[in-house]
Parts: sequence; C-alpha cells; structure tokens
Amino acid sequence: MDMKAKGCRELLEEVIDVGLCAYCGACASGCPYLVSYKGRIVLLDNCDVSEGQCYQYCPRTHTDLNTISQQVFGADYSEDELGTVKEVLIARSMDSHIRERAQYGGVVTTLMSLALEEGYIDSAILAKMSNDKIPSAFLARNKEGILQCAGSNYMACSTLDTLNLIAKDSKDRLGIVAMPCQVLSISKMKEDPPQNRVNIENVKLVIGLFCTWALCHDTFQRFLRENFALTQVIKFDIPPPPANKFDVYSNSGKISLPLDNIREFIMPTCSYCFDMTAEFADISVGSVEGVEGWNTVLIRTDVGVELMERVKAKKKLEIGQLPSQNLAHLKEAALLKKKRALKEIIKKTGDKKKLLYLGMSESVVDRLLV
Amino acid sequence: MASIELDAPGTTQLLLGNEAIARGALEAGIGFAASYPGTPASEIMDTLASIAKGMGIHAEWSVNEKVALEAAAGASFAGIRAIASMKQNGINVACDFLINLTMTGIGKGLILVVADDPGAISSSNEQDSRNICKWMNIPLLEPSNAQEAKDMTKWAFELSEELDTICIIRSVNRIGHTRGNVKLGELPKREQRAYFPNIWNMFDPTLSKFAAGPFPWLHNMLHQKLAKAQQRFESAPFNWYVGPDKAELLIITSGASTSCCTEAVKELKLDHKIGIFKLGTTWPIPENLVEKQLSRSQKVLFVEEVDPFIERSVMELAANLPPDSPRLVFYGKRSGHIPSYGELHPDVVINMIVDLMGITYQARDITYEKKAKELSMIIPGRALNLCPGCPHRATFWAVKNALQLDGRDGFVCGDIGCYALGFAAGGYYQSRTMHAMGSGAGVANGLGNLIQFGFEQPVIALCGDSTFFHATIPALINGVYNKSNFILLILDNNATAMTGFQPHPGTGMTGAGEQAISINMEALCHSLGAHVEVCDPFELENTTAILLKLMAEVGGVKVVIMRRECEMVRAKREKRFPYVVHVDPDICIGEACGCNRVCTRVFQCPGLIWDREAGKSKIDEAVCTGCGLCVEICPEGAIIKKAT
Amino acid sequence: MKKLSKEPFNLIISGVGGQGNVLMSLLIGRALVNQGYFISVGDTYGASQRGGSVASHVRISEHTCYGSLISIGHADVILSLEPAETLRMLCQFGNPDVVTITNTRPIYPSDVTSGHAIYPKIDELLKLIEKLSATVIVIEATDEAFKLGNPIFANVILIGALIGSGALPLDKRSVEPILKENFPKEFDANMAAFNKGMEFAGH
Repeated sequence: MDMKAKGCRELLEEVIDVGLCAYCGACASGCPYLVSYKGRIVLLDNCDVSEGQCYQYCPRTHTDLNTISQQVFGADYSEDELGTVKEVLIARSMDSHIRERAQYGGVVTTLMSLALEEGYIDSAILAKMSNDKIPSAFLARNKEGILQCAGSNYMACSTLDTLNLIAKDSKDRLGIVAMPCQVLSISKMKEDPPQNRVNIENVKLVIGLFCTWALCHDTFQRFLRENFALTQVIKFDIPPPPANKFDVYSNSGKISLPLDNIREFIMPTCSYCFDMTAEFADISVGSVEGVEGWNTVLIRTDVGVELMERVKAKKKLEIGQLPSQNLAHLKEAALLKKKRALKEIIKKTGDKKKLLYLGMSESVVDRLLV
Repeated sequence: MASIELDAPGTTQLLLGNEAIARGALEAGIGFAASYPGTPASEIMDTLASIAKGMGIHAEWSVNEKVALEAAAGASFAGIRAIASMKQNGINVACDFLINLTMTGIGKGLILVVADDPGAISSSNEQDSRNICKWMNIPLLEPSNAQEAKDMTKWAFELSEELDTICIIRSVNRIGHTRGNVKLGELPKREQRAYFPNIWNMFDPTLSKFAAGPFPWLHNMLHQKLAKAQQRFESAPFNWYVGPDKAELLIITSGASTSCCTEAVKELKLDHKIGIFKLGTTWPIPENLVEKQLSRSQKVLFVEEVDPFIERSVMELAANLPPDSPRLVFYGKRSGHIPSYGELHPDVVINMIVDLMGITYQARDITYEKKAKELSMIIPGRALNLCPGCPHRATFWAVKNALQLDGRDGFVCGDIGCYALGFAAGGYYQSRTMHAMGSGAGVANGLGNLIQFGFEQPVIALCGDSTFFHATIPALINGVYNKSNFILLILDNNATAMTGFQPHPGTGMTGAGEQAISINMEALCHSLGAHVEVCDPFELENTTAILLKLMAEVGGVKVVIMRRECEMVRAKREKRFPYVVHVDPDICIGEACGCNRVCTRVFQCPGLIWDREAGKSKIDEAVCTGCGLCVEICPEGAIIKKAT
Repeated sequence: MKKLSKEPFNLIISGVGGQGNVLMSLLIGRALVNQGYFISVGDTYGASQRGGSVASHVRISEHTCYGSLISIGHADVILSLEPAETLRMLCQFGNPDVVTITNTRPIYPSDVTSGHAIYPKIDELLKLIEKLSATVIVIEATDEAFKLGNPIFANVILIGALIGSGALPLDKRSVEPILKENFPKEFDANMAAFNKGMEFAGH
C-alpha cells in the first residue's frame, strides 16, 4: 500500500466503496464533506484536498503497526496473540446498580465512572442505544450518563465522529469506549495529531472492547424492527460456543435466534480485521467464557495500570484470576481472527505483499500464516 | 418611467419596443389586456397594468397564457378591442385555443403579441413562432423597431376587424427590449360598451358565431380571409425597398434583422449595389410585391430570425414563376450562409455580404484585433448564479444534502423560473430534467409510477409559486389520482421573480395594484389529498430532516412548500439588511483540511469571495445582502452575523 | 442639437447584472432624446441579470434610429461599472480610438470564487484597459458610493463622469431634469453622486 497520504476520493475508492469501511466515524463530521448517517459514511460534496485527514486516520488505510506500537507502548508490535499486555485478570463491579445494567461484569462502566469521579477525565464518549435500539455516540459527563450506555449492542456505531465535533479549544479531558478499529484510529491520531479538530492530547483514557465482528446497524436494525417490538427489548447477548445463538431478551422473556440468521448483517469489513482484543487500548475488556457476570480485563499501558490501582484502592471492582483454560481459548480465538483476516486480505489482493491497510513485516505475516 | 398614457400626440418619447406596443394598443382604443410574464414580452403588460386604472381599461396578469388569450377573446366577442401578449413558450400553451379561435372568428379587434427569444437568452428552447401563423392561417406582422411596433399594433386592430380574425404581431428580444424614439399618436376618446351577441338560431346555426361548424367549411372560409389579408398586405405601409433599381444583391429581411442589414450595407458602403427589401407583413407574403422585388436582382440573400420562414415562402413563390424568368440564386439558411439557430448580429450579416460580394473588410485595426483576441483569454467567465440571499440557494443545499444522505440515487426534476439554475453550480447541479412550465411535476408523475419495473430512486419535482398556479396543479392532481410517488417542492418566494416580480394568485395583489384574494397553496394541496408540509428553507437542518423523512416514507405524493420571500422583493420593501455579516480571518482556516473553503468553492453565494493572497474568505459588502445563511455553512464558525 | 463627432455615435454601458446599467442607459437615452437626437438602446434582460455579464448598447444619431446592436470594434465610448467587464467589452467592441471610463471595483464571478478561474489583479487589468483604449478615465465609483451611503450610487457617479468627460453632447443642465424625474425622493443624494462623477472626470 502506498505510504503517501491521500484524500477523500481515495478514501471512497479504497475503503468506503469496496466494503472495507468499519463505520468507526473517524472520518466523519471533521469537515463539511463527510458525515455518518444510518450505517453509511456519506460524501455530501467533493473535496479536492490532496492530503486529507479522513484518509490519514482511517483504520483501513495503511497503518504501520510498529509505528503505532512505538507510540502507544514504546516498543515494536508484539507478536503475542493478545498484543502487548501488562496484566490479565477478571473482574466485576461491586456496585449492584451497575451490575444490574451491565452486559457481564460492568467493568467498563465502573472504570469509566471512576475515571470521571477521580478527575482523570471530564467527560466520556460511549455508544448509547435508544429505545428503538439504534446506537449513537453519547458524551457523558457523570456516572448516570455512563450507566445509560451500559450493555452490548453488537452494532457498529460511528462514535469517533463525536470526537470530531468537540470544539478545538476545549480543555475537557476525554475518555472513550471504543471498538478495536476505533482504538486503532485514535492511535493513528495520537501518532500524528490532527489539525483543525479536537486536540487529541485531550484523550486521556481509551477502554477497548473485545470484538469478533459487528453488525451493520441499518440492516440489522431493520431486521429487529420487522421481528420484534423494539421498545420491549431489554438486551442482546451472544452466549459462548457451542450455543451458536443470538439471544434477544425482552419483557416477555428470551428469544433465541440461530446465530447463522444474524451473520448476513455482519459488516463485510470485519472479515479483514485482525484485532479481536483492541490491542492498542489502555485497558481492553471482554466477557469470560462460561463464567456469567464477570469480565476479562487486559491491562496494557501505564495509564491502565494507574487506573486499575485506583479502582482497587476504591474497592469498586472485585478482582479474580482468569482460569488458564480460558486464557488459552482467548489466545486461540484471537490468533484465529488474525489468521482469518490475513487469509481474506491476501485472497482479496492476490498478493502476500499487498496487505490493504496492514503494515506488518513479512516475517510476522509468514509466522501467522503457518 | 415611460409615460405611455400621455395624451400628447406628436411628441417623442424614448420607449422600449414593448412599451411602444402597449402605446399602440392604447391608440387603437383597447379596453382589455391579458398576459402571463415571460421574457421578452413582460413589459407590455407591466406597462399596461401600471396605467390600467387611470385609463379605464382592464389589464390582468392571467394564471397562464391559454387563459390570457381566452380572456382577451372573451372581451373581443363582447365588442371590446383586446390584446394578449406572451413569450414564445406562452403561445405554445395557448395553441389549442388559438387554432379553435381561427375557426370561429372574433368580435372586435383581437391581437396576439408573441415575443420570440432568438438565441434563447432567457428561454429553455429556441423557436420561431412565425411558423404557427403558417400552420394556423393567421395574418402575421413583424415590427423592425419601436416606432413600427407602435404603428403596427394600432394598424393590426383595424386589420383584425376587417378580416374578422385574430392577427399576430411577432416581436423578438431585440425589438421588445430596445429603446427607440417613438412619436406618439392620438389617443381615442370613446366610451366602450360591452355586449355579447346572444344568438342561437336553429335554422342557421352559423349565426352563433363563436360556436358553430361545420369546421372544414370554416377552414375554407379562413383560407379566404388569408387571401384577403394578402391583398391588404400588397399596399401595407410596413413593406419597403431601399437601394438601386437593379441591384447586384437583393437582401430580403424582416424584424430585428432589418437594422442589421441596413447597417451592414452602410458600413460596407455598398448602398449603390445592394438593395434591401424589408417585409413587415410576413404571412401571408404579398406575392405581387415580392415578385416585383425579385426582378431587381438574380442574387437574393434572406436575413431573418430564426427559421427560413420568409425564405421558404419566397422559394415557393419563385418555383411558380413563369419558366422564362431569369434564374434566381438564393442564399440564406438553406445554403448555409446564415445560421438557422441563434441570434443574428450585424457582424454575421457583414461577413455574409463580404463573402457574397467577394470583397474584403476589416472591422478594426489588425494589430488591435490581434491584441484584443489575446487578452480576451484572461477574462474569467460569468456563470449565472442565484442572487445573494436567495431562498432557492438554501432549498438546493438542503435537497443536495438530503439526496446524498438518503443514498438511493434520488434526483430532481426541475422547472422554469429562477430555480431553473438548479442545473448549474449555483444550484449545486441538482436538476436532472428541465422542459416547460409545470414539466417538473409532470415528468415526476411518470418516474414515480415505475415501481413495478424495479424503480427505487426518490423523485423530487420542483415548481415555483407562479409556476404552481400556471401549470403544476393538474400534474399534482394526476399524481394523487394515478397513485404516483414523488415529492413536490413548491418554492414559494411570493413573486414571479425571474421576469420582474409580477404578482400572481398567491401574492394577494393584482397586476393593476389592487388587493386580491391570496390563494392558499397548502389548503389547495390538502384538499387534493396530498401530504403537505410547510417550512422555511433557511432552517437548513429542519428542511433536510423533512426531506429525508418524506423520502423514507413509501408511497404517495407529498408536497413541501419552501416558503421564504424573494430577497430582491424583501430588500426593495424593507430597504435594510437583516444582518451585517463578516468573516473573522483569525478563525477562517481557508483551504486547510477540515474546510477547503466550502463557502466559496461549494456554497458559492456571490456575497462571499476568496482572498487568494491571504488565503481567507471574505464578505463582499457591495454584494452581500446580509441574509446570514452562510453562517450555517462555515464549519469553523468563522462567519459572524450581527442583527441590524 | 449639437453635431455629433461621429454618426452614429456608439456608447456601451457594461457591468454585472444588478448594478444598474439598464437604468443608466435609460437616463442617458432620455436626456439625449430631449436634446433632439435619435436614440436606440439595446439591453440584456432576464436570465443574464442573475450575476451575469450585462451590457447596454446606445446608438446616438442626428437622423435616424439605428439597430440596437453595435458591431465588433465599433464602440466610441465604453462606460463600465466593473473592470473585467470593461476589458471584455474592449476586446469585443474596442478600437484604437475608443474612450473608456471604468469603475475599479471587481465583482468576483462564481467561476473565480469557486476556484475554476482567476481574476486578474486590478492594476494588471487597468494596464490592459489602457492598452486597448485611446483615453482611459479611472473612477473609484464604488468606494465613493459607499461614502455616499450605498454602493448602488456608483452608476450615477459614472453617469456624471461620462457627462464630465465631454464625450457626449450632454451637460449637467440636460441631465439634471432627467435625474429629478427619475429620483423624485432621493434627488439630492443622486445629484451629489452625479456631481462627484463630474468632478472625477476633471470637470
């Protein structure tokens, strides 16, 4: 892939119009030309800027993983299946309110609320689901606001466009809950800060979510609308294999759909994504297979370590050890996603040296393809 | 401005051709005038309407040209001399009535003035309306300057009564919009009394003059009327010849081309070699008179706009000359010497004569010519744009965004008016079709009924407020009745703006300046069963949201009335700007990523200009009208408005 | 009726739609008719008013009304409200003897503001205008009009400059009644503008 930065025309040609767009929102609302709308990135007018930040920060344009890794960790890209990790543990919230609303252990809500309360951040950007089950970005300034965003929606949400809408001169320190693609985009921004947008230095905390794939919120939402009374739906869940189900919980109980029925709504870009555990976040959070009500927590950076210490000191989380079998499974799943992504990418380009957005050394690629 | 109602015969005024026609109608003693705005005819009614009350005549802006002609005919039937005026497209609209009228004859003198637009300077097509006279057997007159426009109009009323048929005066943009010295004639002082001959006789139905048949028989009668017209034309004062008895070249010309010819011949100093035969009565042509001119030369050049109308008539005549007549060579549109499209300029005629006479001519010094040609390359073009403050700019911006967001390849069916600029940069290239008045909704009807063929694209039709009353209502009814699916945007700026801000049934004012009922558009649309919304296009977010909502809904005809007054009308009335607007250069990021000067590069209001040296946008205070819309466009908030 | 220096005498009044060239041509035309001349004035109307180039062709004669269109290279005076239009008219209708009176304030077409064309620098434009004219009178009419309270006064200022230049057989006395008739309520302001124009032309 060409190292030279390009503009929105190339963004459309190389990413948006060829099914690679992850709808992360990094390119949207930063200028009058690109906006996110109902699951699509829309070009309102032509922009002929030759080097556009829309292209530069897209997680699906060329990304040198070593460069990003140096920026975040001060070291080259780790070949560990889970990326650079300082500590692995499991946790759940001590707060019953949070646990009630949470998908699993309520760790993301707890961490972000504490960061807010302790003054690490002034506001947080998260995805919130409306009563109609449409996710959209939300800027929370207090714990209640964060709590409203608890729960997994499984749909892609262009939260990063909210980042672009924040005033350039705002002094607010921000926390973001992000998908792996969005974390990658934020890391690209930190590596080469944007102009005429929010000061990226203000982003103090990035909590990443584990992700195997995301659903296109326009088509999936339509499917939900046709099959459920949406305002009655409380939450969704994908139980661990071998269940192969997509559970919809409503006031009248639980309905299990075959997972295969949902696969058609998976965004095409997810087949090309190598990152299951949000490898460049401060802290990455996911479920614990087979253990209800707990989260797997990967602490990656000093910021993550400090926050975790604080949370333990304030007794906001109950901490535990991830069973070795779970860890093995997690690593296996993460590796599988990397291998699958590489295979799909090489199938698409027809050339092992052309890896679309992945700037990965040949030796690393070879080792992964073994 | 011009005082055409002055009772001062023998005095001279500088009048537009259109004002002269109005004066001619007054001198003919008309009592009734009807019209619909259309360039280059509008000033005829503008002038008559402004003095109607004082002169005791009825002058109205009708809802469209068909009704205008019908109304004028009604007055004529009841014994009042009447005039109907319209542009070329207007006569198209009036055609069905017009041809029926030729069957029945008229009451008192009835004249139709049609103003063509050669070069389509202000039209969506180019046509030569004289052909209608040939088609419908209507006597035709073409004035060649303002004085003649007045004199011909007066004379035409007498002709019309003598022949008992409608007569047509064909003007063009260069006649109607050219000011010239006009010597005024007498204004008749007589009382007018209207009465309709209320006759029906079972034994002689032809006495019910305006309804009877048999029509083929009446058609034959019409031919006889035309034969009589031809007789009259042989001695009409509007046909003349100037030049030598025998000429090397005979030019036959009419209308606005006349002065191009006389000037060309004078410029080339060939008045002793070239004769000019000017025809003012061009259908039917006075054959004897024409034949006489044809004997002056064997080379004949036809100079006329736009079609080879006289050319063909004369060729037809020439084909029937006695076999021993000298062979004539014709030059004109058939031979390719004169273009059969576009406007004629004196330079074209000069070049033709130069070519035919085998001489050389230099319009100006050669060095100067070369320099001028070179320098003309650096002058930027001036594309048409909407006025600063125009509500249509906001409408097109909202439409553009809504169609992009919707993402299903939706498009706009455009129509006639200022918003016709929707196809250009000023309208963000939104319009995809444009034909006649009301065609936007008409075409949308068809497009909106193709679902069974897999059609999924949202269709948006446009019309203005005046256009709505003129032609769109039937298309809207059709859409509701025949279950089509489209969104109709009525761009209600409370004026017939493009043609000069004439009133219409929605404005609450008549042409003569009297208060009138203001027809409520939304109530009318509601009563048809269409879904109706009203919004201010300047509220961009709201307007875009409404459009998106309606596009997402499946089925039916939806009307959105984009209501905001035309900026020129508002400015004239209020004589102040709502805001003072300026660009803060410290906040403006110009061409940088994040903006790339969207205000001047894309939004393109003429009030915003680009300072290339500073790399910043600026407000041009000589152009900006302080509407404040651009404030919404700037992503940095660099454009600031302060209420005045 | 004064004798014309040329028969017919050709005047072009040019500018951008909305600046008032039609009104200017009417006022000048009427003043001339009152003096006994035969006048023809041809204007562009309708669509070209929406930000487009506009021009009025004024033909002045002692004997007859000429056609309204002036042929290539036959302008005697070019009076222009906008400098790019001045050059445009000169390229089409100018000749080595033409007298040019021009305003200096550019009106940028959307072709320029959108980035598709470049508007020449004003001193560059004025130099080229000089190259194509026998005499040039440069008037900062819009700036002056702003001082008088409204940029639209530029058109009456330029009428004043035209009269002041002596190019036409008209003087202040012949124009004043026309201004009074046309601007009954704002006569003083327009007269001030007219006088300013005459002053600029060195009168």
